Amino acid sequence: MMSGEFIAFMGIALVAVIGGVLLLNLSNVMHMMVALVFTFVSIAGIYVLLSAEFVAAVQILIYAGAITIIMLFGIMLTRHEDTSEAPGSSWRKFAVFLGVLGFAAVLYFGIYNLDLPQMENTLHEKNTMQIGEALYSKFVIPFELTSVLLLVALIGSIMLAKKDDEKEGDKE
Amino acid sequence: MELLNLYQNNYLIVFVFLCLGVILPVVALFLGKLLRPYKPSEAKYTTYESGIEPFHDSRVQFNVRYYIFALMFVIFDVETVFLYPWAVAYDNLGIFALIEMTIFVFMLIIGLVYAWKKKVLKWI
Repeated sequence: MMSGEFIAFMGIALVAVIGGVLLLNLSNVMHMMVALVFTFVSIAGIYVLLSAEFVAAVQILIYAGAITIIMLFGIMLTRHEDTSEAPGSSWRKFAVFLGVLGFAAVLYFGIYNLDLPQMENTLHEKNTMQIGEALYSKFVIPFELTSVLLLVALIGSIMLAKKDDEKEGDKE
Repeated sequence: MELLNLYQNNYLIVFVFLCLGVILPVVALFLGKLLRPYKPSEAKYTTYESGIEPFHDSRVQFNVRYYIFALMFVIFDVETVFLYPWAVAYDNLGIFALIEMTIFVFMLIIGLVYAWKKKVLKWI
C-alpha cells in the first residue's frame, strides 16, 4: 500500500539513516554535527507521523537545539589534533560485520511479529494536554524521579568541572 | 479520522518550510560560488591576525566554563519542557499537580543554589 504516510515515513527514515551514516563517515567534526541534526530532525518527523506532536517539538528543542550545542562545546573543550586511526584488520572488520548482521536479525525477528494492542487513536487531539494529564496523575513518581536525576546530573557535572578549575588555579 | 487527515495535511506546510530552510543556504552558497571570481594565492589563505604572522593552530581549547553554562542551559531547558504540559493541563489537574510541580522546581532550585555557591555563575 503506497499511502502518503508510507512515502513520508520512507523519506524521513532514509534521511535519518543517511544522517547517521554521514555522522560516522565525515571527517570534519562540525559537518558531523550537521549530519546529527538531520538525524534528530527526521526523528522528530517520525514522531509527527505517529501523532506525537509534543514529543516532536521537544525532540527539536532539546536534541537538535540543546544536545547539539552541548556536544559542540564538548568537542571544543578537547584538544583535537587531526589524527585518524589506522583502519583495523580485515578479520576485525568481518567480526564487526557479523555483529551488525546479528543485531539486525535479532531486531528484525523481534519487531516483525510484535503485536501491540491497538489503542484508540486520538493522540492528535490536544496532544499536550493528554500528556500533561497522564504525566501528573498516573506517572507522578517517575516524574519526581526525573527531577532528582536532573539534580544529580547538574551537581555531578559541577563537581567534576570545578575540580579541574581548582587544579588550574593551583598551577597559576 | 477526518481530524487525523487534517492534522497530517497541516504538517505539509511545515515540511515545505523545512525544505525551504535547507534549500535556501545551499542555493545561496552555490550561486555565490558561481558568481564570485576565483583567483587563489597563498597569501590569501593565511589567517588574518591583525597584521601579525599567524602561528599555532587556529583551534584552541575552550574554557570549561562554557561547558557548564551549556549544561545548565540543557537542564533548565528540560525543566521548561516539563512545565509546559503541566501548564496546558492545569485546569484539569488541580492542587495536587501544583504541589508536585513545586517539588520539581524546588529540586532544580537546589541545583541552581549549589551552582551559585560554587561560583559557577560568576564569569571570571
